[in-house]
Amino acid sequence: MRLLSPLSWLISPLALLTLWALVAKAGLFPVNLLVPPLEVWHSFAELLATGELQEHLSGSLSRLALGFAGGSLAGLAFGTALALSKTLEAYCAPLFHTLRQIPSIALIPMFVLLFGVDETFKVVIVAKTAFFPVALATCEGVRAIPRSHFEVAAVYRLRWTTLVGRIALPAAVPAIVTGVRVALTRAWVVLVACELLAADSGLGQMIEMARQMLRIDVVMVGVVVTGVIGFTLDFGLRRLERRLSNWQSR
Amino acid sequence: MKVRDMRGLVLPLLMVGAWEYASRQGAAGAYAFVPLAQVASAMAELLGSGELLINLWASLTRTCTGLGVGIVGGIGLGALMALCGPANRLIAPLFHALRQVPMLGWIPLIALWLGNGESAKLLIVSLAALYPMVLNTFESRRQVEGQHREAAQVLMLSRWQQLRLILLPAAVPGIAAGVLQALAFAWVTSVGSELFLSSGAGLGSLMMNAEAAARMEIIIVCVLCIGLSGYLMSWLCTLLSRRLLRWRPNR
Repeated sequence: MRLLSPLSWLISPLALLTLWALVAKAGLFPVNLLVPPLEVWHSFAELLATGELQEHLSGSLSRLALGFAGGSLAGLAFGTALALSKTLEAYCAPLFHTLRQIPSIALIPMFVLLFGVDETFKVVIVAKTAFFPVALATCEGVRAIPRSHFEVAAVYRLRWTTLVGRIALPAAVPAIVTGVRVALTRAWVVLVACELLAADSGLGQMIEMARQMLRIDVVMVGVVVTGVIGFTLDFGLRRLERRLSNWQSR
Repeated sequence: MKVRDMRGLVLPLLMVGAWEYASRQGAAGAYAFVPLAQVASAMAELLGSGELLINLWASLTRTCTGLGVGIVGGIGLGALMALCGPANRLIAPLFHALRQVPMLGWIPLIALWLGNGESAKLLIVSLAALYPMVLNTFESRRQVEGQHREAAQVLMLSRWQQLRLILLPAAVPGIAAGVLQALAFAWVTSVGSELFLSSGAGLGSLMMNAEAAARMEIIIVCVLCIGLSGYLMSWLCTLLSRRLLRWRPNR
């Protein structure tokens, strides 16, 4: 049993796959509602071969990269400023915490009217989604740096660059990376949602078009690819997070 | 303190002012940036006709029903996974694999299978509430203190007594945290699902129809309403859990 244990994780996914194939084959449901797994795989291969999938994927990912880079950099800057300046905090914190409460999804119709259904709207909404978690995490991360660290730096008369690079950054970075991870996952979800609602390319649009044409196989390929991308992004940042906070446990 | 409070108002007021200014810059400006008076009258109109309340009520009921289903199912599934090793081995891989797909990504698939009616939305909201509940319930088994475990062994408590007297009380704070998360997810997903499947009542449907008619003022009222209700619900939930967890020693 012990020897089998790593493999036992595979039991349920394989069982589900088999069940799916059997039920599809038995013809309990119409074929266009429950597509056999093999056919889903074939449409995946077909989408890959024609390059359609890659095209949609690169469209989605470049939007994500653009919006996320803008939003998280702004969040980083704003969060740091918010943590360091009492004046800025007095002016901006109430507005910041109020706007933070509004879910990005709820803003989609508003942004469509403001920016149109083109590229701008998607990039802006991804940037907005990324901004708030990153800003919040940065603000808390910078605030959590112990005062004594700065006092030690003052005693040793460290240079400004050393203070930031060797003391402030390592202390604040783990919290910030956690914020970035949360932001990236949310940004991906919101982007796919936007593309489902209004887009001319991208993974979400591929799913939505397939839905309208009743191509469940393509919808499933899209759903799985969305999940895999989300997982990969999260997994990568989780590794980074663990790496950067290694020194803390020691 | 007083002065500080006033300073927080400067930026929102400036933004509102800029909005109002933009709305007066010709027809194009008034299209996207509707004048504040129009927002106020839309609010009065929606409240007066009861349209806002009907849609808000529909969204809230859906969120609460889905949350209820998610909480019960999530605690059950999470407890099963935490207490029974083989069940965990069977369920965990599937659960974590399915969890990776964004909630709103399921909507097209679920809509194809269940149509775009109430049942599809309810399923999506329940699933959204289920994930955090399972995770938090499962994780809270680690919250059991070693001393309590040892005491249970010394007293030779039966399995049922262990569950009732030790495991369950230890898990309650974790579960409460899960409910708070699940509430937020359920609310967002409820509104999101209404945006996609905009048949029937709900704030999301109201917004989608307003978008089609380019009625920015209705969208603004809806967004305000969504933000406010979400905030109020999580505030109530925090208050409730704090009251229910009074017995806990402060750590």
